[in-house]
Amino acid sequence: MSDHVVPLEEMERDALTELVNIGVSRAAASLRKMAGQQVLLSVPSLEVVTRGGAATLIRERESGDLVAVRQDFEGVFSGRALLIFPESNSMALVRAVAGSALSDAEAAEMEDEALTETGNVVLNSCLATMANMLQRPLTMSLPQVVRGNGVGLFELMQVSTEEGGVVLFLYINFAINDRDIRGYIAMLMDLPSLQALRLLITEFIRRVIGDEV
Amino acid sequence: MSDIPTPERHPDIPSRRRQELAALGGPWLEALTASAVAIVLTDALLPDDPILHVNPAFEALTGYPAAEALGRNCRFLQPEPAETEARARIREALATDAPVTADLLNRRRDGERFWNRISIATIRDGHGAPAFRLATQADVSSEYADDPAARELRASRRSLAEVQERLRVVQSVAGAAGAWEWDIASKRLVADARFASIYGLDAATAASGLPTAAFFAAVHEEDRMRLRIAVAGALHGAEVFARDYRVVVDGEIRWVAARGRTYLDAAERPLRFAGVLTDITDQRKVEERLHIAQTAGEVGSFEYVAGYGTAEVSEQFCRLLGLRPAQSLPVRTINALVHPEDPALIQNRDGRISSGTASHEFRITRADTGEERWLASRGEYRAGLAGGTIFTGVIYDITTTKRSEAALRLLTEKLEERVEERTQERDRLWNLSRDLLNVIGPDGRLRAVNPAWTRLLGHDEAELIGTSIEALTHPEDAATARSHLAHLLHGEAIAEFDIRMRTKGGDPRWVSWTVVPEGGAIYGIGRDVTQRKLLEDQLRQSQKMEAVGQLTGGIAHDFNNMLTGILGGIDMVRRRVSQGRLDDVDRFLEAAMQSGQRAAALTHRLLAFSRRQTLDSRPLDVAVLVRSIEDLLRRTLGEQIELVIDMGPDLWSAVADDNQLESAILNLAINSRDAMPDGGRLTIGGRNVHLSATDLAHSDRGEAGDYVEIRVADTGLGMPADVLAKAFDPFYTTKPQGQGTGLGLSMVYGFIQQSRGDVMIESREGSGTTIRLFLPRHHGAPDETPAKPRAAALPGTGETVLVIEDDPAVRLLVLQVLQELGYRAIETADERDAVPILQSARHLDLLISDVGLPGMSGRRLAEIARASRPGLPVLFMTGYAREAADQAQFLDAGMEIITKPFAVDELGQRVNRILRTKGMAGPSSE
Amino acid sequence: METTVLIVDDSKLARIVVGKVVAALQPDWQRLEAGNADEAVAVIAAKPVDVVIIDFNMPGRDGLDLAEELRGRFPAMPIAVATANIQDEIVDRARAANATFIAKPVTEEGARGFISGAALRLRAPRP
Repeated sequence: MSDHVVPLEEMERDALTELVNIGVSRAAASLRKMAGQQVLLSVPSLEVVTRGGAATLIRERESGDLVAVRQDFEGVFSGRALLIFPESNSMALVRAVAGSALSDAEAAEMEDEALTETGNVVLNSCLATMANMLQRPLTMSLPQVVRGNGVGLFELMQVSTEEGGVVLFLYINFAINDRDIRGYIAMLMDLPSLQALRLLITEFIRRVIGDEV
Repeated sequence: MSDIPTPERHPDIPSRRRQELAALGGPWLEALTASAVAIVLTDALLPDDPILHVNPAFEALTGYPAAEALGRNCRFLQPEPAETEARARIREALATDAPVTADLLNRRRDGERFWNRISIATIRDGHGAPAFRLATQADVSSEYADDPAARELRASRRSLAEVQERLRVVQSVAGAAGAWEWDIASKRLVADARFASIYGLDAATAASGLPTAAFFAAVHEEDRMRLRIAVAGALHGAEVFARDYRVVVDGEIRWVAARGRTYLDAAERPLRFAGVLTDITDQRKVEERLHIAQTAGEVGSFEYVAGYGTAEVSEQFCRLLGLRPAQSLPVRTINALVHPEDPALIQNRDGRISSGTASHEFRITRADTGEERWLASRGEYRAGLAGGTIFTGVIYDITTTKRSEAALRLLTEKLEERVEERTQERDRLWNLSRDLLNVIGPDGRLRAVNPAWTRLLGHDEAELIGTSIEALTHPEDAATARSHLAHLLHGEAIAEFDIRMRTKGGDPRWVSWTVVPEGGAIYGIGRDVTQRKLLEDQLRQSQKMEAVGQLTGGIAHDFNNMLTGILGGIDMVRRRVSQGRLDDVDRFLEAAMQSGQRAAALTHRLLAFSRRQTLDSRPLDVAVLVRSIEDLLRRTLGEQIELVIDMGPDLWSAVADDNQLESAILNLAINSRDAMPDGGRLTIGGRNVHLSATDLAHSDRGEAGDYVEIRVADTGLGMPADVLAKAFDPFYTTKPQGQGTGLGLSMVYGFIQQSRGDVMIESREGSGTTIRLFLPRHHGAPDETPAKPRAAALPGTGETVLVIEDDPAVRLLVLQVLQELGYRAIETADERDAVPILQSARHLDLLISDVGLPGMSGRRLAEIARASRPGLPVLFMTGYAREAADQAQFLDAGMEIITKPFAVDELGQRVNRILRTKGMAGPSSE
Repeated sequence: METTVLIVDDSKLARIVVGKVVAALQPDWQRLEAGNADEAVAVIAAKPVDVVIIDFNMPGRDGLDLAEELRGRFPAMPIAVATANIQDEIVDRARAANATFIAKPVTEEGARGFISGAALRLRAPRP
């Protein structure tokens, strides 16, 4: 437990969760359009841990091989977002998003390419929405298909080495209805300082709550 | 129009057909599509006219995005399947590909109904065949309204009814939950009665719509901000809304769970935010308790929605797996910890199982320590509200149980092995044993016997089973067997006893038994000891012979010395008589007498050892006795040894033969003297003691009670342990060959035992020896009359005495004495001479008879004599007689006994006294 | 005269999807493809191109760079930037370059406005 920090008040955590929730919802909408199918989402689970804690957490959770689309982002906060599927699901996903645009052979040939584009659309939707909500721009890297173990996938980004930074780790499950496609979006965010994060969140809270009534 | 078709419906066809349509319709179609007129194009070549294309105006009119409309028949807009006149007309027209227009009551995607005026025309291909159908649609609801105001009201009512219907649907799905719908554009909140009740709102007001602030008004202050954030998320497009919070109504706090989602319009703008509200106050209490129980009971819980990559887990769940606490974990992570050979912790990832329970046991490798643990999972599959299967379950550690089980199993296996081995061993033992093995039932009958029985005793197993053990026992030992069996049946084990068993052949076999009662049965092991018994008998016999040899050797030596003294003395007297030199005859006679007396003493000691001496036990004062022999003792001990007489006060009188006691004390004193060659001190003490049965454990006949102790203690060399152990053995002597028969101590022992007393000896090498003699106390006064008045015999007065003695020398002597004393003696050798005289009328005053006669015994002759001459005095003479050892039993009134050898004077005195007593008592029978 | 559309996207799948959308809306249009900004510039140098649809997120120069460059060279050319990166900054930059912003995933609905507008503009007499 000592690796876990509770630097955020519950409200701030809530706000972060909602931020991610909004982003992922947008991503789900994109996925829905691409697959022409209902996409179900779970409630995000969010944890704020120290950098050291994050390493342990990833090592624990991401053992074994998996297929993911990875996209790094940089800005007021930096991090890495992953769209992760069970390996057996990846072709089904390709078929879902490529649809009749591709023959089976093409789809097989283009598996990685298709995954990349899917990940690109889904993760960009999510991250861009979050950036918009926070009103702070984010630069996003090119998406990349990665296969391998979790430690490699989440290999801590070199974007910020500032001591005392915390890492935000979250999971959202998704399932594409009517198709045997399940996966999850994982995001690891490197927060340069709690102070900065607090500021962002406070702003965000003020904005979204101001809107609501 | 969607560019992403639904391939599973009409794979590849729509896109090709659309190209054909575009070619056929050309710019007209393009213009139409872009127009505000809602159009639908269907494929006339496929059955049931599936929709191939709709335009944005159609989407706006019906609320259905193109993707949801494509591939379906236009009927999906109809709320009820019921047949109407308009629908029948359309069907007829289509059958002939004729154009048709009709008004249909349709339903928008959001449920609102409207009148749709549909005009359908068939588009033909280049060959004139029907290829597509074009339908324009228009909302003509206004034409069906009476007036604008009424229309407005109806629309409003309709829309409200729609909302409420949705709520009812939601409510029915969610059970007793309250429902809300938040219209984002108009910022109005509509809630049902249950929601209103939970929030403390007026049901009617809630149903007709409230400002959205009402959603937060009743919320607990501490939860309000968080709820507002979550709602803000939903209003900004977050699809999933899930919050538990407190609602305070009239001071009462209730926990509620709100679950909702945001619905988007076609342009993906949030349209409305709706959900259900459940009162979970009780559930939370239960959950809290459950949480405590789970933590305390180390039970981890999880929930998994089939297909998802992660599972919701409890802290304890993580702890059991050695993972960091988290709310959700990837299934792969969880299952990766499970042993590859064991069932996965989270199963049913494909959702194939939809209900029922599941329980598994599996090993995991803890993520933190790498330790292997056994866990059990118990879970339940159920359908989720939002579809899919939910697997809810718990896990707990069963390592200890498993290890115990394993240990137990191992133990059991080993035990079985051992039992098997043991059984085999036991069977082998049972079959091969030369010892008799058997089980006897509580009825005393044999239940099982091993083959040794047949081998040893010759009986078949069939003959033995059911036979009582007593019947198999030698008749002489049957009583012993019966008595042992009785003890065994009472549960007493008997270590060892030997009895003879009957054999089929007749010769009994000695069997040494060890028998143990156990659980109602008796288990016996019998060893054939017949051979040993024979050997023992032979050994005993040879030991006896050896002892007799020793004894006879020792005695012969002593007797030879004595006989030399006697014979030599007599021979010298005869020579002196024949030479007429009578002056020193007395000296030789005296020497011969002494030798004879020593020989008499020796035979006496032999008899004492054999405990067959004739004891004349009577009450005596030990102190008086010891003092009477004090002078004798001093002379025997010599000057170098100090004699201390230490008699306690008020010494009880004891019961013993005074002569024997004197002799014993003298013997002990002589032994002590020999043990003190350089002088020392001899103490003879006397005191009263009480001996318990334990003290007398080694005594033959002693009983617990009062005793007089005579202690003879010296300060001599003492005895080493091996000598001490044999001190009472007959013929054992430390003296050089020829100096003694070794009967001293054993004689003392024999005498004391015969006197119902006990002897104890203490000695240590170099520390002297103490011997204690215990004589039974006489209850009563000591005999005042001296036992043996040693007066000279008075002369007789011619009384007639019949003498029966087979030994001529003794007979001659007795006759000589009687005649010299003035009696008339009749001489007989046995009953042939004596009986006629006894049965005659001859006058007799006394009968003197040997006890051990050839033929009729002296005792029998006395009876014959008494038959015709009652009261005739009888004096028995005996050298040895078993019967005479106990005079009281042997002698009737008027009978006495005198032991050989006796002095001439002694015989005279006894005869004299008997006849005088008789004379005083009255005349004898004639 | 035939209309030529150039689809610039590093993802082949994305090019196929956009191509399908274009084909559905304008079956007669000639479709060309380029995998990055430099390839696009080369295609345009070699052939006449009427309409360009550019992915934003590409290796090398990004789509906005390319759009800005092409706007400089072809002030009237219909240009669209298609991206899932719907950040306000990106939308603003696209507008600044007088390019239409199309959110990915590209659908007929999403692209219709741009394609129809382009078709109308191209039909108008050229200066």
